[in-house]
Amino acid sequence: MLNLIKTTTAASVMALAAGAAFAQDYPSKPIEVIVGYSAGGGTDVMARTAAPFIEKYLGDGASLVVKNMPGASGQIGVTEAATADPDGYTLGTFNLPGMMARTIDREADYDRDSFTYLANVVNDPNVIVTTKGGGLDTIDKLVEEAKANPGAVTVGMSSLGGDDHFMLIKLQELTGAEFTIVPFKGSAPARTALMGGHVAMGILNISEVAEFQEELNVLGVATEERSDFAPDLPTFEEQGYDLINGSMRGFIAPAGLPEDVEAKLLDAFAQLETDEEFLEAMKATANPVEVVTGEEFKELTSDLYDLAKGVWEETPWN
Amino acid sequence: MYSDLLHALPEVMGLSNFAAVIIGVIAGIVVGAMPGLSATMAISVLVPFTFGLEPLVALGLMAGIYNGAMYGGAIPAVLLRIPGTPAAVATTFDGYPMARKGEGGFALQVAVVSSAIGGIASAFALMLLAPPLSKVTLLFGPSEVFWVAVFGLASIIFLLGGNPVKGLISACFGVFVSVIGADPIYGTDRFTFGQLEMLDGINIVILLVGLYALPPVIDLLETPLKTDSVESSKLGTEPIWKAMPRMKGFWKTWLRSSVFGIWIGILPGAGGSMAAFMSYNEARRTSKNPEKWGEGEPEGVAASETANNADTASALIPALTLGIPGTAVAAVMLGGLLVHGLQPGPMLFRENPDVVFGFMWQFLFGAILLILLGGSLATNSFARLLNLPRPLLGSVIIVLMLIGVYSIHGRMFDVYLMLGFGAVGWVMDKLKFPLPPVVLGLILGGFAEENLRLALRIGRGDWGVLFQNTTSLVLVALTVAVVVGPIIKRRVIDRRKEAEG
Repeated sequence: MLNLIKTTTAASVMALAAGAAFAQDYPSKPIEVIVGYSAGGGTDVMARTAAPFIEKYLGDGASLVVKNMPGASGQIGVTEAATADPDGYTLGTFNLPGMMARTIDREADYDRDSFTYLANVVNDPNVIVTTKGGGLDTIDKLVEEAKANPGAVTVGMSSLGGDDHFMLIKLQELTGAEFTIVPFKGSAPARTALMGGHVAMGILNISEVAEFQEELNVLGVATEERSDFAPDLPTFEEQGYDLINGSMRGFIAPAGLPEDVEAKLLDAFAQLETDEEFLEAMKATANPVEVVTGEEFKELTSDLYDLAKGVWEETPWN
Repeated sequence: MYSDLLHALPEVMGLSNFAAVIIGVIAGIVVGAMPGLSATMAISVLVPFTFGLEPLVALGLMAGIYNGAMYGGAIPAVLLRIPGTPAAVATTFDGYPMARKGEGGFALQVAVVSSAIGGIASAFALMLLAPPLSKVTLLFGPSEVFWVAVFGLASIIFLLGGNPVKGLISACFGVFVSVIGADPIYGTDRFTFGQLEMLDGINIVILLVGLYALPPVIDLLETPLKTDSVESSKLGTEPIWKAMPRMKGFWKTWLRSSVFGIWIGILPGAGGSMAAFMSYNEARRTSKNPEKWGEGEPEGVAASETANNADTASALIPALTLGIPGTAVAAVMLGGLLVHGLQPGPMLFRENPDVVFGFMWQFLFGAILLILLGGSLATNSFARLLNLPRPLLGSVIIVLMLIGVYSIHGRMFDVYLMLGFGAVGWVMDKLKFPLPPVVLGLILGGFAEENLRLALRIGRGDWGVLFQNTTSLVLVALTVAVVVGPIIKRRVIDRRKEAEG
């Protein structure tokens, strides 16, 4: 009997030691970061820019290897990350609201509980833009026109079920105005159609119009405070419209990480927020940074899921 | 602005920056020459590695690869009738017959000189005219782009010669393939059978390799002892300066094809293959002896190769100024620029003049280097591949195809898909269905559909939106001319014959 107790204690001590050793050792081999888009895209650039800083904060010669698994709007990559072994050696990038919207508008092999939420790093707020010379150069005029002639204002934006789309839904719900959606494949063609006057209005993200402020009327930005990217640009709140929305990108790991590994990763990601060098590098690649870690990130995801679900139930987009 | 251009020059001439262009051109030729490997793929493989490189080294590699690959695609197109890249499909029309006649060496030289000329013209357009030309792109909204695609499809069906009904059937097959994948507006699955791999549609390289590379390889292996292949002893190689005088009559084609290539490059989405087809058609139409085309007319190779290189730098005009890439390669390069903090837009030229203009110089040098590197590389090394015993050559090509297709996304699914297309291609080849309309059908079909639906949304369901402005009407008129023209011509000839008879 005594022997049995001895062995169990010994075993549990050993197990504890092993656990501690695991966290101390972590990472003892390269960590793979799965990016659901091809190299050179916004999400990929974020991952590759952040990687050396995460390596620095994890310490001990940690190394992050970015692996691109493009396809199906990021769904292939995020599914891979969600179903990987939760040992801390596979992380993934995560896009909002896209990744949650995909669990609603198609069948997905993951849901919001499939992940350990590490950190959201980028928050690229929406902006509303109109063509030069179209006369709709303030948000009030735009809303007035859309109310007077329901559906007459055409809105160029990137695909349905993305942040641009949800922004428009919020605007329609807030004002009761009605617009005609013209969903391009990506923001750049939508922006070009705007510049050529083929659509009247556009919903884009601030990073996408920062270089085009002379070519387009930018009516406002959907944030609480003015964005560093265009400090002269008023928020919609300032103009009396309660509109806050944007596109977000961050990092997740599969659900069920060992607690100490999770803590170590969260700690490393949290330090990004105050790293001047990192902020500088992100600014150079047009990524507005807003670091949200752990539980808060999880809540953010949940909120966006509820928003997408609500929109889907009222006006399904396919 | 032009002083910025000169200011950027010394930097470009630096050792590492210049070496990058040279290495890029050689790598590009090799990649382009291998069926299944394309410039798009090579550059997307390269992009992650460029994070640690100086901007101009990275961009120089990309510029070199792009230029090199556009020419490299001509090598197997001429020697084996297997276009190395989608844009080299039109090069097979006359290039391969030339090789069969023992003029393969000359065909490759025409290809390299024409490629270089197209590339140089395009680089100048990019350097000197980028801002004004980007205004042209703005004229093309969804309805205009729809007509560009329809015009391209109509040309390939009706102008290519042969049987228009078979051309139409081939094009329909291509358009059908373009329908596979997520719906461009709603994102709903179409013909994907629940496979996530098919959600993004069928990659053009998978189709191209299957259709074009597998049937010739099967032929090659079917008759291992047949000796009618193009032997290097029959290549007809001579030094390039001796070959040059034979090309002096091509200047009109070079000029016209350069304009075609540049023009199509700045339109969103159409790309090198459409440029090559259009310029081939136009060169044949204006030729004195159009009946000889398709049987080994060197000018046909010149037309196709000039145009597919003339679209390289010009495809970057909308990419750099507006962020919309004219071709798939330009799209990947845009990613490479972003990595180095170069945001496309009107501000780019003011904020980073040295890098942007340096990049343009690299395009020019890449094009010039083609003549020096491309000619000897092709005739001295690749052409010798043909000395291999046929079973060995066939196996080498099959291995390259499998590697190339697998490496697009790193999955076997694509390989099986390619083999499936190969079977289809073999049957089509035997039944004499033309293959080029399938390739263009896939490229332009999706494009036509997406833009038609966007245009109709803008017009809120009113089809009148498709005929609302001059640009659209011009394109409609051209399309009608392409469809009706040959019929009228045939009638007139018949009448004349009747009158004579």
